[in-house]
Amino acid sequence: MSEIAIRITGLQVRAGQRQLLEIAQLVVHHGERVAIVGPNGAGKSTLLRVLAGFMPARQGAMCVLGREFGPDVGATLGARGWRSLRAEVGQVMQGLHLVARLTARENVILGALARPGGMPLWRSWLRLYPAALVDEAERALRELGVASLADTRADHLSGGERQKVGIARLRLQAPRLILADEPTSALDPRATIEVCQALRATAAHATLLTVVHNPELLPLLADRVIGLAGGRVVFDVDVKDATPDRLTEFYAQARPLRSVDQGAAWPVKADDDFARRAGTAAARPHCTEITSLP
Amino acid sequence: MPAASMMRTGVLPRGRQGFAGLVALYALLVLICLATLALAGELSLGRQPWENLLKSLAEFARPSFIDAWFGAPQLEYRSDDGTLLRVEDRRQVEANFLAALGRATWVTFQIATLGSLLAAILALPLGILTARNLAAPRPVSRLAQLILDAARAIHTLVFGLVLVGIVGLGPTAGILAIALHSMGTYGKLFAESIETLDMGAIDAVRATGASGSQVFFSAVWPSVLPQFVSNHLYVWEFNIRDSTILGLIGAGGLGLLISEAASLFQWSRLATILLAVIVLVTIFNALSRRIRQALL
Repeated sequence: MSEIAIRITGLQVRAGQRQLLEIAQLVVHHGERVAIVGPNGAGKSTLLRVLAGFMPARQGAMCVLGREFGPDVGATLGARGWRSLRAEVGQVMQGLHLVARLTARENVILGALARPGGMPLWRSWLRLYPAALVDEAERALRELGVASLADTRADHLSGGERQKVGIARLRLQAPRLILADEPTSALDPRATIEVCQALRATAAHATLLTVVHNPELLPLLADRVIGLAGGRVVFDVDVKDATPDRLTEFYAQARPLRSVDQGAAWPVKADDDFARRAGTAAARPHCTEITSLP
Repeated sequence: MPAASMMRTGVLPRGRQGFAGLVALYALLVLICLATLALAGELSLGRQPWENLLKSLAEFARPSFIDAWFGAPQLEYRSDDGTLLRVEDRRQVEANFLAALGRATWVTFQIATLGSLLAAILALPLGILTARNLAAPRPVSRLAQLILDAARAIHTLVFGLVLVGIVGLGPTAGILAIALHSMGTYGKLFAESIETLDMGAIDAVRATGASGSQVFFSAVWPSVLPQFVSNHLYVWEFNIRDSTILGLIGAGGLGLLISEAASLFQWSRLATILLAVIVLVTIFNALSRRIRQALL
């Protein structure tokens, strides 16, 4: 059995009285490419934030790239632990987040900040980076087809260009796990395809977890599709079973928000029906074998 | 209740009622201030306001250096019986005055420049500590906030009075007074600049596993630097104006000349001094606007 990238057990996340996430068990193996689909408010972004340690859980235990954390785990990771975990977890965010006043090249170099040995602070401060790192950043930009933009400031880039620069930064970071939150939400169709291909190429040797809405992108980004609704895993299927029709039905049936005392957002009956047709979560072996895992 | 029905009954909606109440309270406050002053007989413009105004304006319209240049070149001082006591070369006197004015202007500029820089250096850590989005430990940020508020509450002139007593007369007291008061202004401006940061970009850098100081120097600093420079130019310019009065209390600079001229009713000299202040501030203002535009 291959190495486990993510293992979630008994996870609950709340914001006030709203139940954002409730996942009994979820396992992602190393090298898997997983897409997370679901309506707004289903908890997709929350899941990614919890996995990167940017949001605390109320209950549960997470194991990401060998680090255990969460309320059900005795010891906490600590600032150092989080940093070493985040260095191995690459994130592509919805909002095209680059540092506006730095050039594309400088933004790419930021991906190397957490490398072992590190960069002296004065180099970051004065933006005098080692030549080898500059070469590496330019190579990454060239591979993504945006080499000519190396000296352009990030706030002068278009949405697609920004996301490509973000992915170039990811290349320098060379993470083992990539969490991408709607990486193409602000892009036109052509840029969408280009960014997805770049993401896929960058994730060639990593685990990729992507939040997507567009069913056409699923085959490009995933071999496994997880549907979230009301914070719960509603289905967990192979990508070939997640046909556009089924996804349309799924989006139509899911109610996005749920209060703790209001019960399930996903109608139980519909859940069963869908699960029978699409192959239930329980039917996938790696979701039930948690007890036997190291 | 819908707003339309309230309009019909002539009752203001709730939010508007509150505002109307505030306006009424404010009007009452202004009236009380006026009435008490009037009752105490303090609301007077003096005995001959118009004559004084016109006389002062006439003198103001002839700044001393123009008067000395185009007016009579010499003044003769004679005793009552007509013997010549002394002949004053007005141009020589005016040249001496202008030289003193130049030195005082330079001292004022020195006070403003060094005071502003010192204030910025003192305020930088405090501003970082009080910025809400950087989430410094609560007691520390509270203390920093308290220091900044106190510094802002006390006027430069008051700091100057105290400091003249401590470090003695001269520009040093002025520099320290400017620094202590402006520290409060800088701290607030710095904290606000940091609070308007694009936190998504900062989080994205944090997400690469960078340490806190790495995030600060590689993402926070380049983002806020232009705003810091802009804030610095703004406060600096403000301090050039502020430091012109510090001489009034013996803290060096133009203020001493202003108080001399005003005490002797030498409005033409005061006009020359004020022209120097206006020229200084205008030149600085033009330069700083250029720099700020270039930074955008």
